This record gives sequence, C-alpha cells and structure tokens, in this order.
Amino acid sequence: MTGPAGTGTRGPLVVGLGSPDRGDDAVGRAVARSVALLLPGVVVVDHEDPTSLLDLWDGHDPVVVVDAVRSGSPAGTLHRVETGAGGAPVSPGAWARTGHGGTHAVGLSEMVELGRALGRLPARLVVVGIEAECFDHGVPLTPRVAEAVPEAAARVCLEVGTALQEGAGDVPR
Amino acid sequence: MTHKHKDGGHVLHVGTLARVEGEGAMHIEYRDGEVADVQLRIYEPPRFYEAFLRGRSYTEPPDITARICGICPVAYQMSSCWAIEDACGVAVTPEIQALRRLLYCGEWIESHALHVYLLHAPDFLGYDGAVEMAADHPAVVERGLRLKKAGNRLMEVVGGRSVHPVNVRIGGFYRFPSREELRGIRPDLERALEDSLETVRLVAGFEFPDFEQPYEYLALRPETGYPIESGSVVTTSGASFDVRDFATRIEEVHVAHSNALHSRLDGGVRGPYSVGPLARYTLNADRLCPIAREAATAAGLGATCRNPFRSIIVRAVELVEACHEALRIIDGWTGDGDASVPVPARAGEGYGASEAPRGVLFHRYVLDGSGIIQDAQIVPPTSQNQPSVEADLRSMVGAWADLDEHALQHRCEHAIRNYDPCISCATHFLDLTVERT
Repeated sequence: MTGPAGTGTRGPLVVGLGSPDRGDDAVGRAVARSVALLLPGVVVVDHEDPTSLLDLWDGHDPVVVVDAVRSGSPAGTLHRVETGAGGAPVSPGAWARTGHGGTHAVGLSEMVELGRALGRLPARLVVVGIEAECFDHGVPLTPRVAEAVPEAAARVCLEVGTALQEGAGDVPR
Repeated sequence: MTHKHKDGGHVLHVGTLARVEGEGAMHIEYRDGEVADVQLRIYEPPRFYEAFLRGRSYTEPPDITARICGICPVAYQMSSCWAIEDACGVAVTPEIQALRRLLYCGEWIESHALHVYLLHAPDFLGYDGAVEMAADHPAVVERGLRLKKAGNRLMEVVGGRSVHPVNVRIGGFYRFPSREELRGIRPDLERALEDSLETVRLVAGFEFPDFEQPYEYLALRPETGYPIESGSVVTTSGASFDVRDFATRIEEVHVAHSNALHSRLDGGVRGPYSVGPLARYTLNADRLCPIAREAATAAGLGATCRNPFRSIIVRAVELVEACHEALRIIDGWTGDGDASVPVPARAGEGYGASEAPRGVLFHRYVLDGSGIIQDAQIVPPTSQNQPSVEADLRSMVGAWADLDEHALQHRCEHAIRNYDPCISCATHFLDLTVERT
C-alpha cells in the first residue's frame, strides 16, 4: 500500500494506456513517448491492459495516466481527473466527463476505484484523457487527436512538475 | 429506462453492457411475455484482418492476427502458426510444441482469472462489479489479481511481453527461454496453483439458476492431455474430424442484424453448437490432470456440464489444469534444441486450430509459391457461440418476465458473460435493448 503524498519511493510514473492498433486508442502511448523525451529522468511506460495498473504504479508517486476517452466532447479535447489514496471515490459525474476514464473492457475508472478499495492507489493520481474520435483497426491517430498530443504531453509534464514542487516524489537521478 | 412505443408497447433501454470484452449490441423483443426475437449484433474485426492479410507474407499472420485481441493474442498466434506450417508441410519439434503449450497456459491463466474474478464473480455475489465486490471481499479480488499476474509473468518470460507476445514466429520461437528463466517463475505458479484450487472452492459455492441447454458441444481433443494448443475436432454428437475439414463442416452465414458471421456445424441440422470451457470439459474431462479432476468432482461437476452459468466452475478447474500443466512443462524443460524449424514457402492451403480461453479458434490460409497470402479465413469462438447466446436469452427472458428492469438487465448481462464473449476483439461497448409489446 502506498502511503501519504511524498512517500512513494520509486518516484513519479507516467503511464500511456491503450492499444497501438486501434486508431485514437493509441493516443495515450503517443503522449507517453513525447513525455519520455521531455522528462528523461521520469519512469514512462506504455501498456494496453488497465488491470496491470495496480502493479505498475506500486510504490510510485505521483502517477499520471494518459488514455483515450470518449465523452462526446470535440475530438482532441483534454480532460483531467485528480484523485489519490485517502480521497473519496471519483464521482460518476467526473468519470462521465472522461467517458468513464478509458475505453477498455475493464476500464481505467474501475481499476482506479478497485485500487482505492484494496488500498493500492498512489497518494496522488492524475488522469489526463484525450477525447478520441475513431477506434478502427489499423488506422493512425485522427488529425485532431494527433494535434492534441503536444499539448497533452505538456500537461502531463506540468502535472509531474507541480507534484514534485509540492514534494510528492523525487525524480531518480 | 422505458420508452413508450407508438403501438402501445415499450422499449426498455438497459444501457451499456459492462464487463464484456468489447463492443456490440443486444436487442431483445418480446410480446405478451413470449420472446419474439433476440439479436446479438457485434462488430467482427477478424473480417477486417482477413482482408488485410491478403497480399502479405506468410510470415506475418502471427504478429498481425495477435493484434485482433488483447485478451487472447496467443490463440491467434498459435492457430495462425499451425495453419501456415500446415500449408508449407512443416511439423515443429516436440520442444517447440511444449513451449507453445506453456505460453498458452499463461494466456489461459490470465484470461480465466480476469473473467472469473473481475467480470463474472460479481454477478454471482450480487455486486454491480469488481469494485463493489472488492470493498467486501478484498482478499478474493487480490487472489484474482495475483493469479492474473502469474499468467502475465509466464507470458512475459516465454513470449517476451504480457499482452502481445513478440517471441512467436512461424516454425517456433525467436529464442527459447533458458531453464533458469523458467524455473524463476515456478514459485509464482506454485502459488497460482494453490490460488486456483481455492478459486474452484469459491465458485463451487455460488448459487446457479436451474438452467440447462442441449447444444452440441465442439472442442479439440489432442492425442494426449487436455486440449489447449492443438488437437483434432470432436463433438458431443459423435462427430470427429481433422482440423483440415473445418471449412467444410463449419459454415459461416451472414445474418441480417449483425456484422458478424454466425457459424453453423453441418448445416445447422442439430441446432446451435457451442465452444468453450463447457465443451472442452464435457469432451475431455478424462484428460484433466488428477488434481484438476479431483477439484472438479469436489465442486460437483459430473461427466458433462450443460448449465452455462456453471461455466465459471469449469474455468476455475481449467485454471488448476493450466497452472499444473505449466509447472509440468517447466520441470521437464531443458532449453535444448533449435527454437524454430525452417518453414520454406510453397503454394498450398493450410488449416490450424487451438483452444482460445473462450473456445476453438480456426484459421485457414491459401499461399502462392512465394508465400504470399491469397486468402485468409478466421473463425473466432465468439462468432461460433453467438447463436447459443441468443438461444439462451430466448429461453431465459420468457421465464424472467416478472423481474423488474434492473434485475432483468443484470440477468441478461450475466447470461451473456457465461460465454466470456471476446467482442473486444471488436471494440468497446455493448448496448442492450429490450422491446416489450
């Protein structure tokens, strides 16, 4: 179980979630790749399976998860949900603004709340969602979603930087 | 949510079906308490892949088709490898076959643990989902996650990655894991075997609706052992045929309401047929390892299982089988020999099949002399089970006429989840509508 803010011993973590072959579902991974270049000292991973999140983020703090979402907003719109250990469950209304925080069968929102129920949530967890448009097999990011990648990457860097300034985690050198 | 119909009836929109892998739509219509129509509509990505594969090299299907599904990529890799090797007239070594079986055990453990604990158990324990269940039963959910992680570890060590393995190629593997690497995951698998036995005890205590269906079951049956990575085809009507004959015995037909093809065995003369854990168990219970057979007996399973709701028990028994089998293969592994055999291209047609966690997955390829794919056919388990899912719902919804809308929704979702449909191979949501007039 992760302790209060600042006690994550493995530093910050950025997770890009999604399938690389399902159109805009790959946007989380694209953002993660950009973040890896911008923040070379931060652990950045991409993954397709949200159910692995509890193990992936074990010991990390803060954690930023980037994922494609579908809520009805214009494609490329950025969404943000912040939560963490000790906090109240994220309201369904907040998840609804992110299309329930992901597009996977066992979704990001379920895994976040499962982590909370099991005491396996990072002290500070931020979800950055990018509104997606197309999940067809074998197609690239749609133009408006691709255009949102730099802004999303900057947002993720800001989230990590802000958390570090507030003392939640250190970047391993 | 109920909407009035112009003709005085009403449509019950029961929302997105949760905890099913993928996207699709279910429409149920009944009049005067009698079910008039049940339609499962799913988007069928293998059709896209069949077209995409034409013109590609014969070496590519394992990597390309693995992308059809994040839950059962190994099934797609194995069935495509068998089919291409069949077309090229190549047989792999016993070591390669053993490693394929081991990798497949990882997928079974991962997929069954996910379905049993995070998707299906909440139905039986009266929770909306795993999150709600975790609040009351944290140790149970942790056990499920631990099991799934053991499957992931096995996939990583053998396949190089837990989601879409990268170590598989036509003719075998890019590299064999060392004996030490495999021994390294033994403790995780020993714990997983204990967790699997505990899983059987847990699910055997669930309450099951009194519901049985007479469908013909179809599964693979290998020369030895429980069917996982290979075998020939057997059915409960006594049919037995080589995988090479699947294309003539199994017919795929278009139905108006779905993008997916429905499968019919022998022209559908014996009604819908079903693949998956119930079929595997019924046709191969004698092949379970002693510890899995003992667990099945203790859980109340007999020689056959015809209640789709009890598929959760069979999945748990298959978790025991997969963990035990993985340990057996690891203990006998030397890491000696070549990781792959040469597969020279030649013109021909090849067939392959393996037991995906949710049922038999058939592949067929036609190659030209330089190994370019001229034709590809993929028959996934979910499309084979679609008629059975619809028939189940047709039988059940009539008997559930007295249920309120929330309970009806839950029962329908539960009934669909009995088949662990992998529509994800499709996409994202299944909308369920019930029309009453």
